[in-house]
Amino acid sequence: MLDSAAAEVLLGLKSAGINFVSGLPDGWLRNLHELIEADASSFQYVPVCNEGVGFSVCAGAWLGGCKTALLMEDSGLRVAAEYIARISLGTGVPVVLLMSYRGDLGETEHWAIPHGIVVEPLLQALRIPYQVVRQPVDLRQAVLRAHRLSEAQLHPAAVLISGSCVWED
Amino acid sequence: MALDRYEWLGRLANRIPEDSLVMVTYIGAVSFEWAQLTKEHPRSAHLGQMGDVIGMAVGLALALPQRRVVCLDGDGSVLLELGQLVVLGQQAPANLTVFVVNNGCYESIGWDSGGTRRPTATAHGTADLAALAKAAGVPNVATVETVEDFEREVNVAFTASGCRFVDVRTHPSATRVAPRQIDGIEDKYRFVRYVEQLEGQAILGRAQQDRQLMRRTVS
Repeated sequence: MLDSAAAEVLLGLKSAGINFVSGLPDGWLRNLHELIEADASSFQYVPVCNEGVGFSVCAGAWLGGCKTALLMEDSGLRVAAEYIARISLGTGVPVVLLMSYRGDLGETEHWAIPHGIVVEPLLQALRIPYQVVRQPVDLRQAVLRAHRLSEAQLHPAAVLISGSCVWED
Repeated sequence: MALDRYEWLGRLANRIPEDSLVMVTYIGAVSFEWAQLTKEHPRSAHLGQMGDVIGMAVGLALALPQRRVVCLDGDGSVLLELGQLVVLGQQAPANLTVFVVNNGCYESIGWDSGGTRRPTATAHGTADLAALAKAAGVPNVATVETVEDFEREVNVAFTASGCRFVDVRTHPSATRVAPRQIDGIEDKYRFVRYVEQLEGQAILGRAQQDRQLMRRTVS
């Protein structure tokens, strides 16, 4: 993603006091993963090979007092959905979901189209409120607000990061 | 050879250190029996389910590295999400020991009305959980089939440091106690309030605290 956009997300995470981040890197958010991993004084970073496992790890960390976020491509929501349903719909555990919005307007890759078709209806099925962010300048506030809502409702809230935060049109 | 589940869970319950925490599956025989054996002590989070118990235990152990964390999972649950073993191996929290009730079958789907227990992939030694954990990088793994071996592993788990995965070969048997009447939401609140008290920190209500901070900032 744009360096300026990654910096805004980082600012949002810090503003929210999020201190535990798990995730599976994708082409759009990879530099964000690097920034978070490099900032060990602010974040405990736990890379995973599966977004569902990442969600479970975040949920466990929240139970231990951390404020958590999960970074992934929107396709990862399909993998994580099983555990979001079991853990969060079943018991009420908040995790902020930060996803690249592959398949949104402007997408150039054919393989990403299904991701865009599924992600919003799936978020709605999981009762996860979300904001689509198409301007980097909006990212900090979106992350902060997602965190607040997530903690208030004890359920995930999501930010979908569109391609306009990844390249200059 | 294999152990009796209720009996070895009882042995474990008797040895659990006072200030430790437990992540345990919240449905089925393991949860029901563990709850009874521990008198529903709030240190146990009956919040894990099929495929997420170890993952949640890893998160809990990383969040609270000063606490000893025990995870109780079943073989069907481990097999459902083997990716959990990968993060267990990668992170290897030194304060976490995973005990797996490996009875080689899907016990909790119920056999009271008869029929043949449906086997998991660990039945007949097809899938070796300890070998899988070892291959995923978990530093200490063991398979136990006798009371003596089990007692040794419990002793190590509660006296030494190091991430451990213990595959406890267990006889299939129906639950010996009544189902719990507590749902996951109540379990969550009970456990989190216990952690809040134990650690002296707020976990619930943090959004309201943020809002109060905002107001102070504005004024």
